[in-house]
Amino acid sequence: MPLNVLLPVVVIGIIGIAVILHMIGLTAPRRLADKAEALAAWAREFPESPAIDARLSADQRAALIECADGDAGLVWCFGADTVARPLVDFDLLDTETGLDIRLHDVAAPRVSVALTPEERPRWKGFILA
Amino acid sequence: MTEITYPDVISYAVPIFIAAILIELLWINIKGRGGRYETRDAVTSLIMGAGNVASGVALGFIAWGFFMMLWEVTPLDLGTSWWVVALCFVLDDLRYYWVHRFGHRVRWVWASHVNHHSSQHYNLTTALRQTWTYTFTFMMVVRAPLVLLGFHPAMIFFVGGLNLIYQFWIHTEAIGKMPRWFEAILNTPSHHRVHHGRNARYLDCNYAGVFIIWDKMFGTFVPEQTEEKVDYGLVHNLGTFNPLRVAFHEWIGIFRDMTQRGLTWRERLMYAIAPPGWSHDGSRQTSDQIKAHHLANRPQDRETPGFESR
Repeated sequence: MPLNVLLPVVVIGIIGIAVILHMIGLTAPRRLADKAEALAAWAREFPESPAIDARLSADQRAALIECADGDAGLVWCFGADTVARPLVDFDLLDTETGLDIRLHDVAAPRVSVALTPEERPRWKGFILA
Repeated sequence: MTEITYPDVISYAVPIFIAAILIELLWINIKGRGGRYETRDAVTSLIMGAGNVASGVALGFIAWGFFMMLWEVTPLDLGTSWWVVALCFVLDDLRYYWVHRFGHRVRWVWASHVNHHSSQHYNLTTALRQTWTYTFTFMMVVRAPLVLLGFHPAMIFFVGGLNLIYQFWIHTEAIGKMPRWFEAILNTPSHHRVHHGRNARYLDCNYAGVFIIWDKMFGTFVPEQTEEKVDYGLVHNLGTFNPLRVAFHEWIGIFRDMTQRGLTWRERLMYAIAPPGWSHDGSRQTSDQIKAHHLANRPQDRETPGFESR
C-alpha cells in the first residue's frame, strides 16, 4: 500500500478509535474502592513484601502502603488498572492539591496524589520517616 | 536476473486491523464480556504499532542488506514455487519461536519485546503494541540459516509478515476456545492469553507464533487453566502511557544497571544478557525465582501446569 494512502488510514484510524473509546466512557479514571482493594493491588505486584496497612488519598486514586518490614510503598490508579512501587528512591514535592512523587524510575516517573490539607502532613510524615 | 517481489502484506492488513478492533469493541459492549478497553492504553498500543511500521521503514535496510549479502554468498536457490513458500513459512515460524523465547530469556532481547507485554489489557490493540527497537537486538541473525538454505530474503519477509498477521486475531478475550484439533496444532487466543500472563504459573511459556507444536516439542507449553484467570501485564507494571518511555525504558534500565559503580565486568555483562530480573545482589527476581517463591508458599501447585520440573 502506498505511503500516501497508508499514513492517512493509520492517523484517522487511531484518532477515530480514541474518540469512540472516549465517547463511550472508557477514559473514566479508576478509583480504589477501599483499603482492601489497595492492599490487594500491592500484593498483586509485591507478594514477597506483605503490607499491613493502606491509607487512601482523598480522591481514592492512590494509597500509601505500610509494609510489615516498616518500608513504605505506593499504589495508584493507572488507566483502568493499578500500578505499585516501593518508595525507596524518589523526590517529594508539595503541590496545590497534594503531593507530587517523582520516582526515579523511567517506567513510572511521576505520581500526583490529591490530598486534603489534613492528610498531607500525615502522608509526608510517613513517607519521609 | 528477475527481481523477486512479494506484496507488503502488513500494510494491506492495516484497514482490516482497524475494522476488527471496532468489531471487538462493539462485541464487548453488546455482550458485556469478552475483554475490556481503556482509551489511553489503546491509543498507546496503536501508536506503538504505527511506530513499529515506521521503524521498519527507517531501519529495515539493515536486515535487508544483511540477508542480501548472505544471498550473494549462498550457492543454494530453492526457487519460488508454492511448496517452497509453505516450507519457508513453517521454518520461519520455528525461527519465530526461538527469537521469541530469547526475547523472554535474554534481557537484551527482552528490552525490545517488553513493550508488547506492557499493557494490562488483552485486546486486539495489544497485538499492535509492537517494538521500535528490534533491529538493535541483532536477532536477524537467527534468520540467516533460512537465507543460506536458499530461501530468498523477499520470501522470508513475506512469510514473516503473514506470521505477524496471523498473530493479530489471537490477542482477544472475546474468543474462548477453538475446536480441539485447532487448539492442538495452532496458536490460539487461549494459548496466547497464557503467554501474556504475569501469574507465576504463566511466566515464560507458549512462545509460538502460528504453530503451538513448537512449545509442545520444546517443553514450554502451558494450557490455560479454568481455575486461574490470566492476569495480564508485566511483573512490575508500567506507570506511563508515554510511547517513548514504553519503547525505551528497558534499554535505559540496562544502561543504568551496567554502569553502576563497583561491578565486575562479568556482572555488567550479565545485566545485558541474563534473564530479565537478574541482579548482582539478588535484589530482584527472575521468572524462575518468582516460580520458586510461589511454590514455597503453595507447594500444592508443584508439578501442575506451569510448575513442572523441566
